[in-house]
Amino acid sequence: MTTPTAPDAMYRNDEGLGIWEHRGKVAAVGVGHAPTSRRWDGRPETCVGAITIDALRKAIDDAGVAPDQIDGLVVVPVTTTGAFWEQGKPLPMDVIQSFNQTDDPLDGIAKLSAEWLLANMPELTNVNFTMYGPGCMSNALNVTAQAVGDGLTHTCLVVKSWHNFEGRYYQGGANAGNALPGTPAVTQLWGGPASYSTALQFAEYCRKYGKTHEMMAPFMENSRRNGLRFPEGYWAQHRPEELIPEDYLASRWIAKPANLFDNDIPIMMSGAYLFSTAERAQDMKQNPVYILNHASSNTRPRSLVPTLDEVEADTARTGRKIYEGAGITADDLSFENMYDGFSLFHQFHLEGLGYRGIKFGEALDFYQTDISIEGPNPVSPSGGNVGSGRSRVWMHTDCIQQLQGRAGARQVTGVKPEVGVSGGPMPLGGNYTVWSASPD
Amino acid sequence: MSENQEQSVTILISFDIDGTLEVGDPPGPLTMDMVRLVRDKDFLIGSCSDRTLSSQRAIWADHDIEVDFVVGKHMLPDVKARFEADVYLHIGDREDLDRQYALKAGFDFLWPDEAVDHPHFQPEP
Repeated sequence: MTTPTAPDAMYRNDEGLGIWEHRGKVAAVGVGHAPTSRRWDGRPETCVGAITIDALRKAIDDAGVAPDQIDGLVVVPVTTTGAFWEQGKPLPMDVIQSFNQTDDPLDGIAKLSAEWLLANMPELTNVNFTMYGPGCMSNALNVTAQAVGDGLTHTCLVVKSWHNFEGRYYQGGANAGNALPGTPAVTQLWGGPASYSTALQFAEYCRKYGKTHEMMAPFMENSRRNGLRFPEGYWAQHRPEELIPEDYLASRWIAKPANLFDNDIPIMMSGAYLFSTAERAQDMKQNPVYILNHASSNTRPRSLVPTLDEVEADTARTGRKIYEGAGITADDLSFENMYDGFSLFHQFHLEGLGYRGIKFGEALDFYQTDISIEGPNPVSPSGGNVGSGRSRVWMHTDCIQQLQGRAGARQVTGVKPEVGVSGGPMPLGGNYTVWSASPD
Repeated sequence: MSENQEQSVTILISFDIDGTLEVGDPPGPLTMDMVRLVRDKDFLIGSCSDRTLSSQRAIWADHDIEVDFVVGKHMLPDVKARFEADVYLHIGDREDLDRQYALKAGFDFLWPDEAVDHPHFQPEP
């Protein structure tokens, strides 16, 4: 079985598509997370393949489903954006030989294929649908929801994992060379840090609306506070440190006005979910969380760096698509878990949604109000990547757990958790899911 | 510098944490006892790290070591402006964020492995 990448037809990129045809008929049930770590320590049991198997098995167990009932697997095959196996570095043969292999020796170490996972999870005897959702869990969730809705699979696992090696992030791989083909030559090889584009947009945002970087501090403090209540996350597990305004504002610039903590910390992690039809989900161990819609943005910017005008136009468009397909309005959102890695674009997502009625240029003022999980306007209750490390997964896990009422110390209490939204990554170019405690 | 010379001059040491001190992530070769040793020699000491200021303070408090400063990576020039010393030394494990920053700020620089064997970190006879 060769796993295909999801075709464009599986995504809802356009406005005017109406209510999603599978609204309320697909559900997330099980959640599984492997322990996090800052970097891979070289052991077989902690490689990205191993932690992925761990997360998948936990999701299966959490849902209370027999492994032979699972017939689908959606995987994000890329497990890093900036930690690459150095060319010429000896392969870790002891690790490679600890697993059933594919024809790529770094499968399970620096990347993940569905074939590698199936070869190393013998309990998954009936998987006949596999597909890649490229990039992020946000993408893979769209693919999974659509696949279940379309009847391509009825009980489907979806997983996203991250590896991190020693050395500086974004400095290795092709970036270590002297030449790159195409746009990356400008944006990666000779360009600024990864957060450069977002920093430019944020600087223009501050100029246009008369705001300051200091106004981000309450959001950062709140996000880390929520992250420290996320037992699956890196900061909660390894370095339970708050991020008070003094600490945030004293940090050095990476790409001014993006400082160190505006950039998420790369980690090893794996998160998995079990999706099913709403009907089958009724008999599983956890309460189903229904998918009301998925929506995507595939907008291409006019140049290398999207302008603020382009960002605002596209986040507004994304917001409209999200609400249209779900058949809801901004007023129906109990909370939002839009992406935050880089933290400086969270407000773009928030304003595009019109969350709690805020308009463009108002999010930083909104951050100065009560945005805690105890208040009426919870912002990023997951804590996102700021709160738990680089994964692009926490926001989704939190939506599921909030709506199942099992977010623990992170449970929102200022509102009744009924409908949530999550997704990202970038303001231009992302995938979004609307979650609900009820199918209606 | 001989031990006699060492006693007659004011020496300031800035410690990176991760990859430098044993409590770092990853752990480095400099032990907290070595830090205590230079503290007992009346060196001015502190940390210069990408960790938050409050978490740096917490590390020192957890090990009952009184330090003169905690600063971010980019703040070595502030340390030099605040403290008068004859020798300014930064110890860290990164070329870009430790060595280059230190030299630019007018500090001497040692890699952690070099520092372990340096006379500063040897007990007085």
